[in-house]
Amino acid sequence: MLYINNLTKKYGSFTAVRQLSLHIPEGDLFGFVGPNGAGKTTTIRMVCGLLRATSGSVKIGNVRGAVGSREMKRMIGYVPDFFGVYDNLKVREYMDMYGSMYGMYAREITKLADDLLELVNLSDKKEVYVDTLSRGMKQRLCVARALLHNPKLLLLDEPSSGLDPRARVEMKELLKNLHSMGKTILISSHILSELSEMCTSIGIMNHGQLITAGCMEEILYQLSGGKRFHIQISSGMETAVRMLQEHAGVELESVMENEVIITNSGTEEEISALIGELIQNKVILRGFYKEEGNLESLFMQLTGGGEPS
Amino acid sequence: MRLQSNPIVKKDLQVTARSMRFSWGLFAYEAVVALAFLLGLHSIQASVDSYYGDGNVYQDLMNLFPVLAISQVCIVTLIVPVMTASSISGEKERQTFDIMMTTCMSPLSIVFGKVSSAVLRVLFYVMGSLPVMALSFVVGGLSWSVLFYFVLAVIVLSVFAGSVGILCSSLCKRSISAVILSFVMYFVLNLLTFSPLLVRRIWYWNEENMGECLLPLLFNPNVFLEEFFMQVMTGESILGSTGESNFIREDVGYFTYCFTYGKVWVFLSAGCILLLAFLFMLIAAWKIDPLNASAERIPIKRIQK
Ligand SMILES: Nc1ncnc2c1ncn2[C@@H]1O[C@H](COP(=O)(O)OP(=O)(O)OP(=O)(O)O)[C@@H](O)[C@H]1O
Ligand SMILES: [Mg+2]
Repeated sequence: MLYINNLTKKYGSFTAVRQLSLHIPEGDLFGFVGPNGAGKTTTIRMVCGLLRATSGSVKIGNVRGAVGSREMKRMIGYVPDFFGVYDNLKVREYMDMYGSMYGMYAREITKLADDLLELVNLSDKKEVYVDTLSRGMKQRLCVARALLHNPKLLLLDEPSSGLDPRARVEMKELLKNLHSMGKTILISSHILSELSEMCTSIGIMNHGQLITAGCMEEILYQLSGGKRFHIQISSGMETAVRMLQEHAGVELESVMENEVIITNSGTEEEISALIGELIQNKVILRGFYKEEGNLESLFMQLTGGGEPS
Repeated sequence: MRLQSNPIVKKDLQVTARSMRFSWGLFAYEAVVALAFLLGLHSIQASVDSYYGDGNVYQDLMNLFPVLAISQVCIVTLIVPVMTASSISGEKERQTFDIMMTTCMSPLSIVFGKVSSAVLRVLFYVMGSLPVMALSFVVGGLSWSVLFYFVLAVIVLSVFAGSVGILCSSLCKRSISAVILSFVMYFVLNLLTFSPLLVRRIWYWNEENMGECLLPLLFNPNVFLEEFFMQVMTGESILGSTGESNFIREDVGYFTYCFTYGKVWVFLSAGCILLLAFLFMLIAAWKIDPLNASAERIPIKRIQK
């Protein structure tokens, strides 16, 4: 659906986005994460034609037009990270205005706007002035507006920043809803737990480079998670440590007062056998568990590095 | 490009109609026009009553019209640049500009929309003053069509002033600097069109011949205003009279001689001014297009940080 090819953005000598290539298949809910200043907003703005790319190309579906062309703009719905609304304009008129900016007919707009406001839970606010809406409502209104011309691709830049926990959950439900309606969605966010719950695939950016991208489960599995085990020990710590050190295929990662963390490069059966051995050697275990793949730790691990050379 | 289908015009009119500022502005504007008219009547009355008055009330009443009309045009050309100068930079300050640029509106239709909505808004003011203006016609002597021409002049000059404003708006990040810049630019443009004439007068002070130095004045809105009203009211202006030029063939270049013939100047000048306005709007549209090489501007958000 969205093909980004070697996209680069330079501000003078500073490279904000470097040789970014990415493919988001149709129907995906793609999470875009990265620390502040990683270049997420820059990338998204280049895709919507709000920023000129230094080099590289963006292609959407089988649209022939270049970035910024009318065909391309019709395919994209964009929700910026920061946006404003007009004074003295009602919600209904706000939708009307943007609809006609896409060249839609008045009757068509009214019908679609009604449906969309229903979808984002704002149908009772139709006659309210947009500047009196709360932050969360504005955010939802902006999503409804971005959907008005029925775009195939939805680009959301931190849609839940500044929302309260309830509004965040509602936003998440809304996005899940849209995903199930078959929209391709790219969402940039800092709230990793939220992304890991709803996204089907994910890309991690740091210092303008895409570090990794792909299906959510695969990426989480790539992380040492899935291979890391915590063993909690009540007594026989020394024996355990010695045994683990000697055991082939197991690496001792850290030893705490009554817990050790190991990484296993072998199969899960080997680990079971190892535990059996430990017990036979009079090591008393209190607990034993496999570390779940965790987006947070993946994020910390991948973005910990300094400036790229 | 059609006016009613331009969403910006529709939105701007909707929003202004609701704002108290517009209502108060309208009230103040009409009040000033009416007051000026009453003051004019009063001074005419005074001169009739006085010992020295020549008693020609009709002529005085007729003269009231151009004075009021020209001062209105001047006020309008002050208001329009303020409106358009704050339009694009205002969208940027309000952070609505990005969303607008991701829609199917082309930069040029955005610029057209902004200028036409400003022109339409001042036309409300001017239209409201027409009944008062029409009072100068009750004694006869002036054709009703003059009122129509008055509105035409307002349109031409407010389109021009508006395009200067929008150009500055596309160049500046802040509305306030855009407003200031557009006044400076309006003034400089006026000066520039006079400069060839001045330079020639100083350099060749002993020569009568002016060459084609008057031609840049075709782009001068003030000269247009003077020529327009003089021609409409009396058929004679500084540059030309009915059926002839006010210059001797030997004193000016060939084109100047032809163009000052009768009403030719007025039409040409209107064309030139509108052309220049169009050029300004094209430049503005080009400047606000984010995909231009020259559009490497820093988003407002980062300035605020
Ligand atoms: N107009 C500009 N001029 C110079 N540098 C810029 C400009 N815009 C962005 N940058 C730089 O580009 C880098 C990427 O910025 P970007 O806004 O894309 O980050 P981000 O990933 O969206 O961060 P955040 O999570 O804070 O939103 C930053 O280092 C920023 O300083
Ligand atoms: Mg950002």
